[in-house]
Formats: sequence, structure tokens, C-alpha cells
Amino acid sequence: MMEDIVFIGQIAIKSSVAVLLATIGEIITERGGVLNLGVEGMMIVGALAGFAAGFATGNPYLAIAAGAMAGGALSLIHAFFTIKLRSNQVLCGLALTILGLGLANFLGRPLIGEAGVRIRAFAVPYLSEIPYLGEIFFQQSPYAYGAYILGPLAWYVMFKTRAGLVLRAVGEDAAAADAAGVNVAATRTIAIWVGGLFSGLAGSYLSLSYTPGWKETMTGGQGWIAIAMVIFCTWNPLRAFWGALLFGGLTALQFFFQATSIDIIPAYVLKMLPYLLTIGVLVLVTSSGKRRRSASPADLGVPFSRES
Amino acid sequence: MTTPVISLSGISKYFGTLAANRDIHLNVHGGRIHALLGENGAGKSTLMSVLAGRYQPDDGSIALHGREMRFTSPAQALESGIGMVYQRFMLIESMTVTENLLLAAQKKIGGSNCRRLISETAEQYGLAIDPDKYVYELSMGERQRVEIVKLLLLDADVLIFDEPTAVLTPVEIDAFFTVLKKLRSADKAIIFITHKLEEVLELADDISIMRKGRVIISTEADRKQISKRQLARLMVGRDVVLRVNKEEIPPGETVLRLRNFSGADVHGTTRFENIDFEVRRGEIFAIIGVAGNGQSGLVSAIAGLTRADSGEVSFAGSTFNAREWAKAPKDDMAYVPEDRYHTGCVGSMSIAENFALTQIGKYRKGATKLALDWQKMSEDGTRAVEEFKIKAQSAQDTAQSLSGGNLQKVILSRELSRNPKLFIAEQPTQGLDISATEEIWQALLKCRERAGVLLVTGDLKEVLSLSDRIGVIFNGRLLDIIDATDSDQIGRVGLLMAGVTS
Repeated sequence: MMEDIVFIGQIAIKSSVAVLLATIGEIITERGGVLNLGVEGMMIVGALAGFAAGFATGNPYLAIAAGAMAGGALSLIHAFFTIKLRSNQVLCGLALTILGLGLANFLGRPLIGEAGVRIRAFAVPYLSEIPYLGEIFFQQSPYAYGAYILGPLAWYVMFKTRAGLVLRAVGEDAAAADAAGVNVAATRTIAIWVGGLFSGLAGSYLSLSYTPGWKETMTGGQGWIAIAMVIFCTWNPLRAFWGALLFGGLTALQFFFQATSIDIIPAYVLKMLPYLLTIGVLVLVTSSGKRRRSASPADLGVPFSRES
Repeated sequence: MTTPVISLSGISKYFGTLAANRDIHLNVHGGRIHALLGENGAGKSTLMSVLAGRYQPDDGSIALHGREMRFTSPAQALESGIGMVYQRFMLIESMTVTENLLLAAQKKIGGSNCRRLISETAEQYGLAIDPDKYVYELSMGERQRVEIVKLLLLDADVLIFDEPTAVLTPVEIDAFFTVLKKLRSADKAIIFITHKLEEVLELADDISIMRKGRVIISTEADRKQISKRQLARLMVGRDVVLRVNKEEIPPGETVLRLRNFSGADVHGTTRFENIDFEVRRGEIFAIIGVAGNGQSGLVSAIAGLTRADSGEVSFAGSTFNAREWAKAPKDDMAYVPEDRYHTGCVGSMSIAENFALTQIGKYRKGATKLALDWQKMSEDGTRAVEEFKIKAQSAQDTAQSLSGGNLQKVILSRELSRNPKLFIAEQPTQGLDISATEEIWQALLKCRERAGVLLVTGDLKEVLSLSDRIGVIFNGRLLDIIDATDSDQIGRVGLLMAGVTS
């Protein structure tokens, strides 16, 4: 019994890392008032770039960096269109996903089936020896350890520093932030770019660590899950951990039921659950009285222009 | 007189082909209050936004202490000491006062320092604020104080106020004027945009009047020589009637009666409790209160947009409970909502179409009644445009292309043409200039001859000019109903609005 739980726990963490990283990134972007639906596209491009860089150089650090930078580069397209040209953020984000998927599919064709760099799990000394919890949390890929740190770090920056204050101000009320002397365009561009870096990083986890190798379908909708998770965890990077773990847990349960051929809940229902839960949380959050403190940034999706 | 702190010369600003400001020259001095007077659309706010760095002028120059300056952003203007309190407060509602001030102060002050500076500045000018409160918890008067403290923290010595009293209660207005006088004695230059003449006469040391994008006169205020009537004539360009002539009409039968009516607004956050009143034909019954005291929920429940929780409504002879009322037919009721741009009309549709919207049954034709008589619709629209002197090229113009005053006239005329028994007007003149306000007031008084009018507003002057009986709403309760002819009681209205009952 305990073994099963540890097994499910390990798989749950493993399956949640990409969603967690992408969710943190999208939270940063949306806190700045920009909706970027291109997460799926940025992830797949990050996955390809990470794999390709690893394949070409054999250097895992370069591979990770290339993955993140590719996501960041793609996000700058979104920044250009939504901030400079003030295009519709929803349409632009969707286009970004389609562009990313198409681009990766096309450019990655020669790499299908090749073996590249593999970033293996390693046990953290001492911590991994904690019974059960150590096995679940500290015998993971370095990406997971990175995500453990980046979530709280993002939270700290967002709520405890001046940079975070500026970011939230721009997302809540761009006109007021502008009147207070904040450079709205620059802040939003950085928020989009950082979100892109996170998405690219998330993608590279898939191709370098989770299932090493390149396959054009490897993100499998995790970018969309991340966007749902942003709402699920009400734009709080600390809660992103729980959201991602929920997704990972459901994925792990699917594996577990398959492996043991116990079929309590059909896999389709498990796949649906993250979305259903997100809708449920959204309803709860928006109907509660403390709405102003927890719900979406007020200026989310609204382009800013001073002379209008 | 000394060199002016601010000297504008030849400022012009165009939006497309529309000249918002044309060749404006203006001097502003330290230690004086400069009133900038003009109707809506005269270009006051645009001019001040140019001075505050929000807009770029197309022509002309700005000199600060005799040195020519060019501001490309509000931040730059602030750095040079020019700060503006906009009509829509530039505060982030989901953040605390301290967070808002820290944001504005940028790198000038640190967190620990900030609290001390806030309380020092606040004390110096009598601007009490709680630094830990969230902005959404604050009243409009308190938010304004936060805005002023923000500018003072940044050492602004030119403070621009865009219609600062529009959202304040009478009590808050008095407090605000005291602050302004303190700022004046601290040698700050104050520019004060308004279209309220009493305020100008009470406070201003200098007066500039704008009309159609130009400054038509700029003068020192001499209170003995300038009268309200003269100012109004200069501002509007013709004589205006500032006091409406209200005929005595004996009240007729009761049109609307509420009994223990309770409920909440759309968001479910602000409640109204146990409201009792009646509106009779031939009278204007006013509900006055500062925004957010439950009146908007009350009005939407009366209009049937939301459902009240409990109570009883009698309308035109029939009685309903709260639940039935929301679904009851309301053909004899007309409603002019507060949000004229969204609730009152469909912006992208034409004037004629908007005119037909609330009486669409009139325009059905054909055997199946599925088709619409567009011809008739267009004719009626055109007639309304002419009759109410709506400034539009034709009835085919979109509603959103109209100015606030003209749009309000469209909505008002539409509702009047339905010949209602009860006419509900919610904040009918909010944000409108003198001449539009005057026309709307006249229309409401005329409407009273045939129907009962329920006027819901926050504007004390409007209530005193129009209404026959006044109900004051505070914190969701109707505190008292006062007869407008009772001169002993009428002075209590302002106090009741602030919740003072004794």
C-alpha cells in the first residue's frame, strides 16, 4: 500500500514539473495585465530548442538555456503585437500557439528518433533519506528542484519587492500605474518575456528529462492546462504548486490504474478533472465576497494607451 | 506680480481633425488658486493633461519658472513638480494606501521611511488617512486625500485638480476647500478645473474661462465685481437660467409604493433594507445619497433588472411581492439608467435603432409580426433628433458618436415618448454641462405634469432645484423623507447624506 502511494507520489511530482513551471511563468505575465494563450506554442518550441541544442553540443546547461531562450524569443512576438500594436491578446496568443506548434513540427522533423542529452534524476543528500517524503520529493530531476525554488521566489518578488509592486500595479490599473510614473510598456514586455522563459524551460523539461527525445506531440496540451491552472491557483505562484500537483496526481493515477489494470475511474474522466476543477474554483472565487483580493488582475487583457 | 510658475504659450492640441485646444496662453502663479472654468468639451481637461505630460501638445510651449520644458510622460512632469489629480482617481484599488504611495514615489523613498513621511505630510495639511487601508475600502473623499498626499510626497508645487468636487459629499467638499486653502498658504500653485460657479466665486484668486478649445478670458477674481450670471454667460456664450421655474402641481394618485423593500445590488455587496416610500403623479420624489449607499441596487430592483429579497411593490393599482415584481410587466414605467453608455443604449447602433429599442413592439409589421418597420423607425428617430435638438448629422449616427449630453437627450426623449406613469431618472445630469443639465431639468419638470418622477441622484443642487419631496439614503436605509418646501428641515439633507441623524 505504502509503496503504491510513494510510486503515485513520485510520478505525480514528475508529471507536474512542466505544468508548474509554465504556470508560474503565465502568472507573472498575467499579473502584468497581459493574457498570453501561446503557452502551448512556447513550450513546444522550448522543447525542440532544448533538445536540438543538447543534441548538437551535448552540453545540458546549454540545452536548458536554449529551451528557455526559445520560449522567451517566441513570447517577444506576442509582446510586439499586443503592446506595440495593441492587437487583441486572445487572438494573438492563439496564433502564437499555432505558430509554435507548426514551427516545431516543421523544424524538428530531422530530429525525430534521435537520442540527445538526458538530464537524469538525482537524489538530494540527506533530504532524500526522509522516509516516504524524501523518496517522493527529493529523488527527482533537477528541474523539479528548480521549480521548488522558483515558485516561492516568484511569490517573494511579486508581493515583497518594488519590482513586484510595479508589476501588479500595471496589471491592476495600467492608467494609474502610468500616472504614478511607471513605464507600462516596458514592464509588460518584461512580464511577457519572463513568462516566455518559463514556458520554454517547461518545454525543455519534457524533451530533456521527462521523456528524453523529440516528438512533435510531446507537450500534449500541458500548456493549456497551465493556463487553466493560473486561474485555479488565483494568480498566486505559491498556490501554483498545489495546482500542478493536482494535475500531476491525476496523471499519476492514470498510470497507476493502467499499470495495475484496476479501473476505478475511467482515464477520460481523470483527464477532464483539471478543467472541471478549474471551472469549480473560478465559480467559487468569483462568487466569494473577498473577490477584489483574490480574483484576476483588473486590467488583464486590456491594452494600454495613454491618449485614449 | 512675480514671474508665473507656469506659463503656457500658444498651446494647441488636436485629436484627428478636432481641435481640443487652440492657441492657448495661460499664466499660473504660486500661492494662488486658479480656476479653469468651462463647459464639458471646452478643452479644460485636455489642456491640463498636456501640462501634466499625459498628452503631447501639437504646438506651443510650456515654461516652468521661466524655463521652457517639454514633458513626454506624466512621470517627467511630476519630476519637475507638476502633479495632477484626475477626475478618475489614479489609484490601484486592490492595493493599500502605502503601496500606492510607494509606487508613485518610485525610488525616492523606502518602505520604512514612507510611513513616517505619509503621516508627516498628512498632518501638515490636515489630510488624515489610514496608510494600511485598501483603496477600495476608502470613500471618494479619502481617495482624493491619498492623491493629494501622493503629489505632496513628490514635492509637487503645481497641483492640478480635475473637477475635484464632483464625487464628494457636501461635508467632504468643505474639508477639501480647507485643504486647498492650506496648500495655497504653503505657496503652491493650484489649478482647479470646474464648471460649478459657486466654487469659483468662493475660492479662486484667478479665473480663466474656456469655450470651444480657447481661453476666452483670463482675469483676477474680484468677488465684488463678478457675478454668477456673468460667469455663466461667458462660459456658455448665452444667458442661462440657473434657477428653474417650478410650477405648483397638486399631487395626484399614487403611482408607486414600496413597503419593506429589501435587497442587494447586482454584485450582492451593497444592500438596501426596509425601504418605504411612495411616488405620486405630479411630483418629483428624489432619493439622494452618496454613491455606494444602496441606491443603485434599489433602483435596479424597482426597474426590475434585479430581484429584491423581500417586500411589496404597488404599481399603477396592482400589488406584487418582491419575487413577482421582477417579472411583472412594466410598460408604464420608463427608466433612464445611470450608465448611459452601456445600460442606456447600444453604442454601435444608430440613434433611430436605439430610439426604438424599448418600444420595439410598435415597429413590428407583416402578417407574422416578425419583420420590423425600418422606415417608421428611421422617421421617428429623425423626428426625435429635431424635436430635442440633438446634435447629430442624422438619426443614422451611432449612439457612441454622441457627446454625453446629446446621448442623454436621446435616452430621455425615448423614454418620454412611451408616455409612462412612472419615470425613473438615475443620475440624469451626472457629468453634463450647464446647458445640457438645464434642458434635462426642464424635461423632467415637464414630465411631472403627466407622471410621477423618481429622481435618484447624488447632486444636492439638482435635488433642491427639482424635487417636491426628498428621501435621503445612507448605508442602505432611507433615513428620512423631507418636504422640499420645509425650509427648516431642508438644511439637514447634507448632514443626513453623511449619516448624521441628530
